[in-house]
Amino acid sequence: MVLSLNDLPEEILHNILLFCHPCGSAALERTAQRFRGVTNEPLLWRHYCQSHFRFWAREHDMQAKLSSAVSTVDWKELYVSRHLVDSATGRLLDSILTSQTGRIEKFRSVVNFGYDAKDTLLRNISIDSDANDYLARRYYAEALLTCLHRSIAIPEWVGLRNDDAVPLVNALGAFDLFIPKSGFGNFDEINGRMDEVLARLLLEYPDIHNLSPRERASAIARYLRAHNLTGIEPGREYHSLEHNFIGIALDDPEHNSLPLTSAVIYCDVAQRIGLTARPCGFPFHVHVIVIPPTGYDVDGNMLGIETRGEPIYMDPFRSDKEIPVSDMRTQLDFLGASPVEQSAVLGESKTSDIVLRCSKNILNSVQRIIQAPGAQSIPVDVGCARYAALWSSLLLSSPLRPTELRHHLLWFMELLATDFPSDIYLVEQFIAPIFRNTLEFEHIMESLHVIRAVDEIPKQLKRRSTEHKDVSYHVGQVFRHRRYNYTSVIAGWDAECGAGEQWMMRMGIDRLQSGRHQSFYHVIVEDRSVRYVAEENVQIITPDISELPPTLVAVAGRHFKRWDAVTREFVSNITDEYPND
Amino acid sequence: MAEDNQNMLSFLSNDGKTIDVPRDVAERSLLIKNMLDDIGPVTEAIPIPNVSENVLNKVLEWCTHHRSDPPSTGDEDDSRRKTTDIEEWDQKFMQVDQEMLFEIILAANYLDIKPLLDIGCKTVANMIKGKSPEEIRKTFNIQNDFTPEEEDQIRRENEWAEDR
Repeated sequence: MVLSLNDLPEEILHNILLFCHPCGSAALERTAQRFRGVTNEPLLWRHYCQSHFRFWAREHDMQAKLSSAVSTVDWKELYVSRHLVDSATGRLLDSILTSQTGRIEKFRSVVNFGYDAKDTLLRNISIDSDANDYLARRYYAEALLTCLHRSIAIPEWVGLRNDDAVPLVNALGAFDLFIPKSGFGNFDEINGRMDEVLARLLLEYPDIHNLSPRERASAIARYLRAHNLTGIEPGREYHSLEHNFIGIALDDPEHNSLPLTSAVIYCDVAQRIGLTARPCGFPFHVHVIVIPPTGYDVDGNMLGIETRGEPIYMDPFRSDKEIPVSDMRTQLDFLGASPVEQSAVLGESKTSDIVLRCSKNILNSVQRIIQAPGAQSIPVDVGCARYAALWSSLLLSSPLRPTELRHHLLWFMELLATDFPSDIYLVEQFIAPIFRNTLEFEHIMESLHVIRAVDEIPKQLKRRSTEHKDVSYHVGQVFRHRRYNYTSVIAGWDAECGAGEQWMMRMGIDRLQSGRHQSFYHVIVEDRSVRYVAEENVQIITPDISELPPTLVAVAGRHFKRWDAVTREFVSNITDEYPND
Repeated sequence: MAEDNQNMLSFLSNDGKTIDVPRDVAERSLLIKNMLDDIGPVTEAIPIPNVSENVLNKVLEWCTHHRSDPPSTGDEDDSRRKTTDIEEWDQKFMQVDQEMLFEIILAANYLDIKPLLDIGCKTVANMIKGKSPEEIRKTFNIQNDFTPEEEDQIRRENEWAEDR
């Protein structure tokens, strides 16, 4: 008898299937009765789940599933459900890439898959540059992923607004979730980092639980300072944008963070080992207040029942020593704070106040970058950081300060329309209700309506016809601005200036050599802004892709498929608008 | 390289042939290695009851080529399954007819030569890759023993796999 696949024992068939793609196992099952058992082994499908997918939506509770007996979970069904999400996500992304119309709903469908969509998106973000639409694919996959992360972050602030008990680390970590390069996408990941910090601290201080609150408070500060987990390295710019983000601070080898962020790291560790530690909103510099349990003082001595001991203050940003309250009072006297104000700033801060303070700090840092651009390369995307700050401000600001709120709303709606239109449903759900019964409500609804209309109505075709014969350049060409010298790519054109009269007045269009009656171009600039440029200011260049600013290459994905190394220009992905370019 | 007598063993195949094998080559088989560790020096030919001479020669050819590979640690389960890549020499080595392929797999399994077993399994996995059920039946000469109703039901259960 000739030996064949049928004759191999189950264990060897199992070993073969471990090397097969799950679709191969499904195909083998369909060949004959002999293979039905081995292709349906729960162990096999658990292996497929683990080896094919790294990220799982929270509702799967994978940790629990993996630690329970293999037969108690329908692993094949679970695999199949993920497989279907994977292919649906891939199809939605393809469809986002092929048409500029209806993207908002497609984004929403992907985001509704939650963390189950993440593996697919990551795969597309890291797609090879041989793919014919690699720039667009990377751009939109990343846009989808950060949109997904925001849909996880924002409800945490909404909870805070509704007075839910939100852990400090989550409230502050929500900012990280807005930043593509932070590497964090949900709160479990950030809390996991804090678990690691705690585990290492316990190795160094195994008996910390037996210490008095005062000793514990200083042991934690000593540990965090000694391991450089708080504070900012000397010589670094204090106001750097990235110092505001707790996840980035935890991951960075230098762990630079502002006092506020350092305080939250401290409080989280302290709370995990049973201390009541909260940020304290001291002016200019957040401290930590450590409160002994009721009935005891900070040294662990018994007081009368119901008696509250005096708290102590720490400043983990710059010291491992306790800060005497008298020092803090002296400073407050110097600032001219009244006794009522003093007791307020020496008390615990609400979590929402800490978030708002962080939001302000971020807006400050962003302002500095806008005023003094260039020089420093920033790991944090400025637009995303600003967007996060505005979200938290709108959700958590006191309605008692309507002017600031109105200001932030204006900036927010503008940013939403230009950079984050896919978040429209989050705005409808969480921002619009805040403004119900105010004058702003109608404006918000009108803007949202416009954003949807722009997304849903197919683009007007701009063919090259005789009336456009004077438009010298085409979509995808790279140029240097003759006056401002920035590098930019053409993403659209008009045969004559199509902007409003007011804009033309303000920009002095009629003072140009050829005035308003020349071609104008919609362009994307290396700083990611979108501008409108007269043809006389366009000086076409033909660089190598390596000579282009990386930010321009990344943002080019919004309108372009790839770089063409022969023609030295970007290949259009907006032929549904400019069919002949 | 001349082999020192002390470092030579001999195997007796199930069709009665004796094959001389350097000890380090033989010890690619954990079955043999553990046996030698347990019982010490052996002078007689070691019977390999499940393996015929031509298969045994083929297996020993693999063991000779890989005689100086670092020993497997046993806890590499996950990393080794990440890839179905096979290095070039092994790929050529596995270009045999199906019967020999399965014989090698069975022998590697019996002799406990995990890396060889995995290469064999990967080779079979690659033969399944991307094929329809009908193509798999053809490749491995598998008889379809389903009733039309069963076949239809299993097809529906596995429809997801065609959605890629």
